[in-house]
Amino acid sequence: MKKIVIQGLILITVFCAALFVLRQIDWMKLFKVENYTQKTEKKLGEQLWKIYKDGAKDSSDTLLINAVDTIISKLCAENNINRSGIKAHLLIKDEVNAFALPGGHLIIYTGLINDCDNQEQLIGVLGHEIAHIQLNHVMEKLIKEVGLSAIISITAGSGGDMLRQVAKMLSSTAFDRRLEREADLKSVDYMINAGINPKPFAIFLSKMAEKKPDKTKYFSWISTHPDSQDRANYILDYIKVRTIKNEQVISSSIWDKIKMNEKDSN
Amino acid sequence: MQAKPFVYIPGEHEAEKASNSYLMSLIAIIAGLPLPIINLLATLAFFIGNRKGTYFVRWHCTQALLSQLSLLFINSFGFWWTVSIIFSDEKITNHYLAYIFCVIIFNVADFFATIFTAIKTRKGLHIEWFFFGTLTNLICRPKK
Repeated sequence: MKKIVIQGLILITVFCAALFVLRQIDWMKLFKVENYTQKTEKKLGEQLWKIYKDGAKDSSDTLLINAVDTIISKLCAENNINRSGIKAHLLIKDEVNAFALPGGHLIIYTGLINDCDNQEQLIGVLGHEIAHIQLNHVMEKLIKEVGLSAIISITAGSGGDMLRQVAKMLSSTAFDRRLEREADLKSVDYMINAGINPKPFAIFLSKMAEKKPDKTKYFSWISTHPDSQDRANYILDYIKVRTIKNEQVISSSIWDKIKMNEKDSN
Repeated sequence: MQAKPFVYIPGEHEAEKASNSYLMSLIAIIAGLPLPIINLLATLAFFIGNRKGTYFVRWHCTQALLSQLSLLFINSFGFWWTVSIIFSDEKITNHYLAYIFCVIIFNVADFFATIFTAIKTRKGLHIEWFFFGTLTNLICRPKK
């Protein structure tokens, strides 16, 4: 009996030792798993972007396009984010919405610009979506919701309906509470690092909380981001002890002109 | 793994049946069945079919079954880990890949050991595996 126990222990030890040795190897690097993941994400992002592109018109307002580009460039520069990794697209739509797609695509509807009272509110929302991209929330959500096998089949070109469902899901459903909180606070960090006051972002969320999403179909960002008041509160708590500056990324006159243009176009 | 003298010299028919008990566990792998339990079920079916066979046949059926049973645990864990990666939010990590390669190494080792034992047993030689042979000696006794 003693012999069996010793032999059994030796066998278990051999298995554990083999596992320990194999764990010392960086398999992810060896098999370029990250590269493959990035390629899949990029391909999926391009496929999804094509769906949105076909469904709405690109904004031709150069002032607005330049302003959004300036804002994103500023946030990226002050937070060591690779600017070329963020591909912003401005689409003409009344919906108050902005959302991230895989592969760094950031879709912004002009309805959001209309609803922002000042540039800080817009920066807060853009920072929030950039945070989702930087923290890899988009792929995390997709893998959780649709699974890796479905993502691979979509990118292989054999999931047209599934692709449309994924597109709808990304623009109309929220991330889970933990991911939303992470993105909110990351956005606040981005803003503070860039010298921008994040308080208006909290005010924007409070404003959203007061509006009832079921009464207007246009407020997608509220319905996809629930508990806006709660979010506003934890942002205000988070910035209480932080040093806040009040820098402007774009001049007030340009912001006013953008708002005027958007109002006229409606 | 080593060749040891058996309590009696097995006949040609016994050697063939004993050898088949190892081949049963290989059939499932060769057929490409992905479920780890299939190997065990194939061996178990053969074991049940031969439980009233001669001591030599019973002994080798038992050893084949026990070796498959141990693989079932490590293979099942790897199998369900893989399923959770494909169908849920579980991610591919270095730990996962290390485990899968470890499982592959042990399965390949078991595969060759099984082939080797099947060939030797077919020749009437008695091969006792490390641990599983000792365990089989404890479980499988000659009929009085």
